[in-house]
Amino acid sequence: MRSLLPDPHVLLEDNPSKRVLLLGNEAIARGILEAGISVVTTYPGTPASEIGDSIAAIANEAGLYMEYSTNEMVAMEVAGGAANCGVRALTAMKHVGLNVAADMLMTLAYTGVRGGCIIVTADDPECHSSQNEQDNRFYALLSNLPCLEPSDPQEAKEMTISAVEISEKLEVPVLLRTTTRVSHTRGPVTYGKLAKPNLKGKFVRDVKRLVMVPANSRPKHTVFLKTMEKAKEISESSPYNRVVREGKSKEYGIISSSSAYNYAVEAADLLGLDASILKLGMTHPMPEKAIAEFLKKCKKAIVVEELEPYVEMQVKAIAKDYACETEVFGKTGKPYFSREGELSTRAVAEGLARITVRKLPIDFADIDKRFTEVVKELPRRPPILCAGCPHRASFYVMRRIGGENAIYPTDIGCYALGIAPPLNIGDIMICMGASLGTAQGISKATNAPTIAVIGDSTFFHAALPGLVNAVYNNSRVTLAVLDNATTAMTGHQPHPGTGLTGMGSPSEKVSIEKVAEGCGVKYVKVVDPFQTKEAEKVLKEALEQPGPSVVVFRAPCVLMSVREMRRKGMKIMPFKITEKCTNCMACIKLLGCPALTVESGKVHISEELCTACGLCIQVCPYKAIEGGNTRR
Amino acid sequence: MKEFNAVLAGVGGQGTLLAAEILGSAAVKDGLNVRVSEIHGMAQRGGAVTSNVRIGEKILSATVMEGQADVLLGFEPLETLRNLKYASDKTTVIMSDEQIPPTELAAKGTAYPNMKEITAKIRRFAKKVVVIETEQLASEAGSRLTSNIVLVGALAATESMPVKTESLMKSVRELVPAKHVDANVKAFKLGYDYMKKHA
Repeated sequence: MRSLLPDPHVLLEDNPSKRVLLLGNEAIARGILEAGISVVTTYPGTPASEIGDSIAAIANEAGLYMEYSTNEMVAMEVAGGAANCGVRALTAMKHVGLNVAADMLMTLAYTGVRGGCIIVTADDPECHSSQNEQDNRFYALLSNLPCLEPSDPQEAKEMTISAVEISEKLEVPVLLRTTTRVSHTRGPVTYGKLAKPNLKGKFVRDVKRLVMVPANSRPKHTVFLKTMEKAKEISESSPYNRVVREGKSKEYGIISSSSAYNYAVEAADLLGLDASILKLGMTHPMPEKAIAEFLKKCKKAIVVEELEPYVEMQVKAIAKDYACETEVFGKTGKPYFSREGELSTRAVAEGLARITVRKLPIDFADIDKRFTEVVKELPRRPPILCAGCPHRASFYVMRRIGGENAIYPTDIGCYALGIAPPLNIGDIMICMGASLGTAQGISKATNAPTIAVIGDSTFFHAALPGLVNAVYNNSRVTLAVLDNATTAMTGHQPHPGTGLTGMGSPSEKVSIEKVAEGCGVKYVKVVDPFQTKEAEKVLKEALEQPGPSVVVFRAPCVLMSVREMRRKGMKIMPFKITEKCTNCMACIKLLGCPALTVESGKVHISEELCTACGLCIQVCPYKAIEGGNTRR
Repeated sequence: MKEFNAVLAGVGGQGTLLAAEILGSAAVKDGLNVRVSEIHGMAQRGGAVTSNVRIGEKILSATVMEGQADVLLGFEPLETLRNLKYASDKTTVIMSDEQIPPTELAAKGTAYPNMKEITAKIRRFAKKVVVIETEQLASEAGSRLTSNIVLVGALAATESMPVKTESLMKSVRELVPAKHVDANVKAFKLGYDYMKKHA
């Protein structure tokens, strides 16, 4: 597991008013400690991962319970269960994780909670590390739950504490919505007092409150709606919803929240725009009266927000309801800001300049033009599989056996990088677990050999129902589980197959092959992807099965094995190209390993990058690669 | 106090995140307001990565605007080029000469672009360009993995950053792996001296 701080124990210092540079996610972790949250659950996912990771590193000492749950749904269920015993709980996930947990979310809103219950959703505008850029503030509207939106690390900490207060006051869970630029920005955070965690809860049997059969759900819906009326009052008087700047003239007003607020203020200053600014930190329910009052004080209101016009739509409705004559600018109607990607001070300044008919003080067009010329033929550098990554060997084997005929649905994890040439493995990728489900539809529709690719952590997260489905409906698919013994992409968190819990205690290793056999899969084999000949034989056999088959490609993540070797004081001896090399380029054309480069027209192995995995020696037709200490 | 904006550009695995954290934590030591932007997750796997560091009383957002970097700290020549839009005639570019060829080049059998051409392009965009042989200085410091700290030392020597050099040094000591403190401190000094001599 990665620790981001020099020492995560910095988070445990009981030193109020100490000022520390923290990542937004670390600030939330500190907020957890200051709020007395005692149960923390998560499934790792960028940009939320460091919340769970920071807590994992200190949970034992802090006296709270932390777990990496098998998926976000289970994570929210565990948190919801604990909170219904009066224990303060928090569950953290990336935006798409909330889709997985949405079933629980929607009805947990009805049962409510007794102890504070916080649901952190970390959105990823710009898809820095995600498959989509959905705006999860709509989950607040959909579930009708309160939602807080911090704009920097300090506020992320404060809001974690406030969210617990609101949650306990209203007895409903509260959403804390961050974006990548909040979760992954470092800023100074001033500590408050640490609270004592309390893990001792009590379950009070209350069927009417907790068992959501229709006869109980209907009255609970009524209660919930009443509760949310109280939430509206909280929002109206919330210190997080405040006018941060009063303009001199009454011409312009800016309404903004989250990371967009930072850009809005800087952009207004860049343009020298005289405008009042309303910062919204509690964006569900909206502080209607406060917004109406603000609107009445300006002729033109500009809503600055990232992704969807979530605030804007509501501001427009409020303007109508309160008969404000203010003109509202944003993304609906004539669009001044993009609904795609991240905003920036520049993008906001450009929008504001168009609305207010002003000239930008910086000639961005000129910078763009000059820059485009400079980077015209710049080679791209997308993320790639590391040198020595076992997935490269697995994909090589798949290409050899499945070739162009097979279809390769893939899944969420490092192995999605297999789409890069020359491996080209990955024909469809949608969401966690979907490789196996889509593979079955593709197989039924085409009868083509279909190899669904999935990682070990993703297998436990979302593949089990798909696997049972394949057995039940006799789908002719091969599931390739790329088991690298960790959740690699998000920072090497443990999972049910690793035999280690989030708090570092040993646990039963859940065996992927036994699970598959238990589900009724007749052909289940485990191979070492670096033994390519043997792996090829097995995969070929698997594809010949009349029903579903599972092949587990098992080899640890190279980053972990290299670290392990260094710890043991073992030296990695990189491979070398010998004079037998004919420069046929087979190694480069087949593997695309970053350690294989071309220097003055000749193949070369980078000493720094080569981890001596030994894959290239197996593909070299001239046996021209030697000298390394192959790790196996 | 004058606002300070830095863009750190490199390849996943080169230690840009750590370098940015060192700059940010030194600013906090000096009681300043700071924002450091980072990108984690998928992008880190050998891909192009950038970090931004912004220091100043009124700073709120973590990202630097085009043309507004005071310093562009390039950990790799092509990545320095890729981020030139943040530079302008007020920018000092400090660049490592450590080349990491993108796999695309190997696949096409193309050579890494000529260093002279790269620096010429940068010169057209920036006030000043200093190329540092970080690999050599890092090896001299005792570990090739300290290249990132060589660059941090070089940045300290420009004195464009409103942070005390001793605060930076203190952050280096606190944030690098305990086993490698000495090598990193040496790397910082070598980078610092190099910049003083060549700037």
